[in-house]
Amino acid sequence: MRAAHAVAAAVLAATVIGTGLVVRGRDAGASATAGAADELQALPAAPAPALAVGTPKPLAGERFRSTWTVVRRRVVAVASPDPDSRAVATLALRTSEGTPNLVSVLGRRSDTAGDVWVHVRLPVLPNGSEGWVRRDALAAYEEVRTRLVVDRARLTATLARNGRVVFRAPVGVGQARWPTPRGHFTVRSRLTRFASPFYGPLAFGTTARSPVLTDWPGGGFVGIHGTDRPQLIPGRISHGCIRLRNTDLLRLARLMPVGTPLEIR
Amino acid sequence: MNELERFLDQVDRDGALAETRARASRRRFLGGALAALGAAAFAARPARAASGLGANDVDILNYALGLEFLQAAFYTEAEQSKALTGTTARAARTVGAVERAHVTAFLKLLGAQAIKRPTFDFQGVTENQQAFLKTAVAFEDLAVAAYKGQAPRLRSDAVLAAAVGIHSVEARHAAWMRQLFGITPAVRAFDRPASRPQINRIVASTHFVSAPAKMSARTDPQFTG
Repeated sequence: MRAAHAVAAAVLAATVIGTGLVVRGRDAGASATAGAADELQALPAAPAPALAVGTPKPLAGERFRSTWTVVRRRVVAVASPDPDSRAVATLALRTSEGTPNLVSVLGRRSDTAGDVWVHVRLPVLPNGSEGWVRRDALAAYEEVRTRLVVDRARLTATLARNGRVVFRAPVGVGQARWPTPRGHFTVRSRLTRFASPFYGPLAFGTTARSPVLTDWPGGGFVGIHGTDRPQLIPGRISHGCIRLRNTDLLRLARLMPVGTPLEIR
Repeated sequence: MNELERFLDQVDRDGALAETRARASRRRFLGGALAALGAAAFAARPARAASGLGANDVDILNYALGLEFLQAAFYTEAEQSKALTGTTARAARTVGAVERAHVTAFLKLLGAQAIKRPTFDFQGVTENQQAFLKTAVAFEDLAVAAYKGQAPRLRSDAVLAAAVGIHSVEARHAAWMRQLFGITPAVRAFDRPASRPQINRIVASTHFVSAPAKMSARTDPQFTG
C-alpha cells in the first residue's frame, strides 16, 4: 500500500511540475506559479533509498589474480588451439588422491570455427608442459590472489597475497639424488585426517612431479606436508616433497587456498 | 526450448533475437553443463529481520542479490577473458563495474543476512562475443522483469526507492546490450513483470549456477615424501 502511495505521489509531483512549467511558459501570471509551488511544498518528501550504491570501480589487482579450473570430462590436451593439432597429454577426471583434476589457466583463444580453447598448465612430465583444451571439457573458472614461492637455495617457503608477503617459513626439500623439481606448478588438493604421522596433520598436493621417482605410487607427485621429524627442517632431506614443521604447515593451511600457483626456484 | 529461450521469445517481440539465436550454436549458448544447483541459490530462504528491515524485504533483497551476483560474475569473467572487442568490450567493462557496485551495496545493506555468492560456470559464453551479447540481453531483460515483479511486494518505501533506482539502471543496460547485439532496444509500450518461480526456472535452465569443486579429501597421501 505504501508503495502505491509512493508511486501516486511521484505521478502527482510530475503532474504538478509539468503544470507549473506550462503555466510559466504561457506567462499566465505569478499567482498560478506560486500556487503550484505551494502544492509542491505540501507533498511529502521522497523516501531516501535504503541502500547507497557507490561509484562503479574498474577491476583492480588483476596482476595478482590467477585462474584455475577442473577437468569436467577426460580430454586430450593438444599443442595448439586446433582440433587437428598434436596430442600432448590426456587429462583424467580425477587425481591419484581422488580430487578433481585441477589445471591452471594460462590463456584462452577461439579457433576459426568459433570454438573456445583454453591454454593450461599440464600436470605431466616433463614438468612445465602446457597444452590446449576445449572449453567445454573444463568446469567453472575459479581465481586466487595468492602465490607460493619455494626457494631451494634458501630453504624457505613464502606466501604472498595480492603481492604482499603473508607467510614465510623454513622448509625441507629433496636430497640431491631426489631433487625437488624447479618450475611453475599449482597447489591442486588438500588432504586431511589421514593416518600417517610421516606427512604431519595435513598435506597439499601439487602438480609438480619428481623427474626421478617416476614409478612412485600415484605417479611421483610432489606434496607440501608436515613431518614427524621437525628437527631436520630446514634441510635437504626429502624424496622431493616440501616439508614444513607442523605448526608452520597449519598456519599456511589457513592462508593458502587450493589453486594457488607454486613456483619452485 | 528451455525456460531461458521461452523468456527470450517473450521479450523479443521483433523476432530478431530469435532469428540470430536459431543460427547460433545452441550448445555454446545454453548447453550441456554439469548438474547445477540451479534455482537453489536464488530461491527464497528463511529470512530473519535485519536491522531496520522486515523479513519479507530481506528475502526479496537476497533474491535480488542473487541476480546481481550472477550479472556481476558474468561481466567480470567476460572482461577477464579478454575475448571481447571494441564497443562490446567497453560496454562489458562499464556494466560489470555497475553490477559489482550493486553487489557491494546489497552486501552492505544485508550484512550477515546476505546469501553467499554462488559459483558460476558460464561454459564459455563469456569468451565469445556473440554468445556473450546474446546472454547479456537475456540477463538484462531478466533482471528488469525480476525487479518489476518484486517491487510491488516490498513493504519498505526506502527499499522500494532503492529497487526502483536499480531497476531503471538495469533497463538502460538491457537497451544497451540489445543495441550492441543489433536488435531493437525498446520494443514495447508496457513491460510485464516476471514472477520469482519464472525467474528461478529460467536461471536453473542455463546451468550457469554450479556446485563448487570439492578440492579436499580424507585420504592417505601418495606423495614422494
